Amino acid sequence: MKLIKKQIPLAIVFITGVLTLVSYYVPNKTSVNYIETMNKWENIVVAFAFLLGLVSLFFSHYHKLKKKADGWGYSIFVFVGFFAIVIPAYVSGGKQMTDAGLTPLGWSFKYIYNALSGTMFAVLAFYIVSTAYRSFRIKSMQAFVLFVAAFILILGKVPLGQMIWDAVLGWTGAGVNNVIDWIMQVPAVAGKRGIMIGISIGAIVTSLKIIFGIEKQYMGKD
Amino acid sequence: MLNNKIKFNLLLLASFLTVSPVFAAKSAEAVKALKPALAPVTGLKAQDMPYDVGGAVLLTWDAEAAAPEGTLYRVFVSSLEAGGWLQTAAFASGEKMSKDMGLPFWAWKARGGMHALNVELNNIYGDFKDGPVFHFKITKVKGTVAAESETASSATVSNWFRLDRLNNLVLLIVIIVIFFWAVSHARRKGLFIRRIAGLDAIDEAIGRATEMGKPIFYVPGIGSMGSISTIASAFILGEVSKKVAQYDSQIKVPHYDPIVMTVCKEVVKQSYMEAGRPDSYREDINHFVSADQFSYAASVDGMISREKPAACFYMGYFMAESLLLAEVGATSGAIQIAGTDVEHQLPFFFTACDYTLIGEELYAAGAYLSKEPMLLSALKVQDFGKLVVMVSVFFGMILVALGAKFGWDGFVQGLLHLFRNY
Repeated sequence: MKLIKKQIPLAIVFITGVLTLVSYYVPNKTSVNYIETMNKWENIVVAFAFLLGLVSLFFSHYHKLKKKADGWGYSIFVFVGFFAIVIPAYVSGGKQMTDAGLTPLGWSFKYIYNALSGTMFAVLAFYIVSTAYRSFRIKSMQAFVLFVAAFILILGKVPLGQMIWDAVLGWTGAGVNNVIDWIMQVPAVAGKRGIMIGISIGAIVTSLKIIFGIEKQYMGKD
Repeated sequence: MLNNKIKFNLLLLASFLTVSPVFAAKSAEAVKALKPALAPVTGLKAQDMPYDVGGAVLLTWDAEAAAPEGTLYRVFVSSLEAGGWLQTAAFASGEKMSKDMGLPFWAWKARGGMHALNVELNNIYGDFKDGPVFHFKITKVKGTVAAESETASSATVSNWFRLDRLNNLVLLIVIIVIFFWAVSHARRKGLFIRRIAGLDAIDEAIGRATEMGKPIFYVPGIGSMGSISTIASAFILGEVSKKVAQYDSQIKVPHYDPIVMTVCKEVVKQSYMEAGRPDSYREDINHFVSADQFSYAASVDGMISREKPAACFYMGYFMAESLLLAEVGATSGAIQIAGTDVEHQLPFFFTACDYTLIGEELYAAGAYLSKEPMLLSALKVQDFGKLVVMVSVFFGMILVALGAKFGWDGFVQGLLHLFRNY
């Protein structure tokens, strides 16, 4: 049992991991074909796993409806939304557009799905404002630095701000656009690179932990 | 009358014979003046392009020291012994020099006074297999004058090693050696690991949820199982759900990716078993929501708004939904701990969450929480990697600055090659 549950999966992870790693240094067609095959397999597995997700979604909401759990009314919309796309897709043969114009599926996509997605994306604008307000509350030295940098950026992006800058700090000779460029290209890039270096090293080490079977929590410990 | 006509014709013939060589010479001189001679390209060599997957040929030829301004090179290729020439490239005489090949010094000997061109035959002949010999010639053109080179031939080969990535391989081998040294060292001796505030707050968040009798939301993001941050998130979920099981609290894990959901189900089930509470485990702890970014965000936002969780964890790969989720969580009054390696989403988490794990801290979190020496040892490798980068950056800066100051161009280029990704 341990062989099937532990050793064989670990061996698969090790062999696949090493081969994938080696393929980075081996440009040969064999290596390219191997990567292409792995990608195809991944797509196949994802397609089957999606069915699994769908079953999970339906069961979860079916049980909510059956038990009349809190917020069960929302679960109705899951089924309504599902059929509002699947039935038109079936009727339209999976096509969104024909010579005659939008198919029922195209209509559902354009007037239901895209509208709802656009609404969610638009909500971001309001959240950014409330987040900005929260981040502008100066509680520490770091928050003060963030505030100053953000304030200069906001000031420099509007004509009125540029006029204020020129009137108050024009004598320094440094235009607000120069200051913005410096903030974006020096401290911002330095911070970002620092984070990216840490991320890259962390990713290498995490990959090694998985390839060499030191980290195997994803398959249960024993 | 007839005699006069014969005399005139003879005179005309004699004068033509006398004058025509002069005209012929003058005409040749005039042409010579209009079309000056153009020396053809010399030293043309064709060879398989090294370190590639195949299907490319490297052409090299001597650069002209003082090529007339406006001189162009036209490169032709043919798969036939004679004829069938197709133009594959055309460029000015000062371009495509050997030093511009973009290969490091250990893989390519850049020579001054030499042109080098990578001819990718796939672009010309479509899908073709390595093996057949191709022929190349270069025509030098200046205005209306052209000079053709000798032909050079080569076949293409699919190579077995990217010598240009040797620096990367050496660094990887060094990291692997240190990795195993750290693992064996961790077995023998304990390791000191600095505190990470965001991870220490996990206990506090779970305790709060238990006291309030409210659920905990664990959002693993929109990454697939191939994303390192999602893998790290699964490790953290294991530790979080173990604590949740110990405190007999509730956890909900809405998913974007069905494969991640399947893996997380195993992880959570195992954690409940390890905590000695297999009876508390429910299949619907992990549930699939949607594989669409904004549908997922809308659904999770709705759940957070309705259920008012005591704590929200956002660990994994996030894009625009990061703020949509974190802001709703913040307004619901939950303790929020986030972690991602997507650096442009970090500011949103910083402002909307109580604690944020930055990139590498996310990777380290699973090991930090599990406190297993073998896993903790990997954190030491991360630290060593950062040390190497810091030292390299520090000395690299000094050496490059000195090189620029004293004109050590070769040295500076060599140094930059060492740290470049090919």
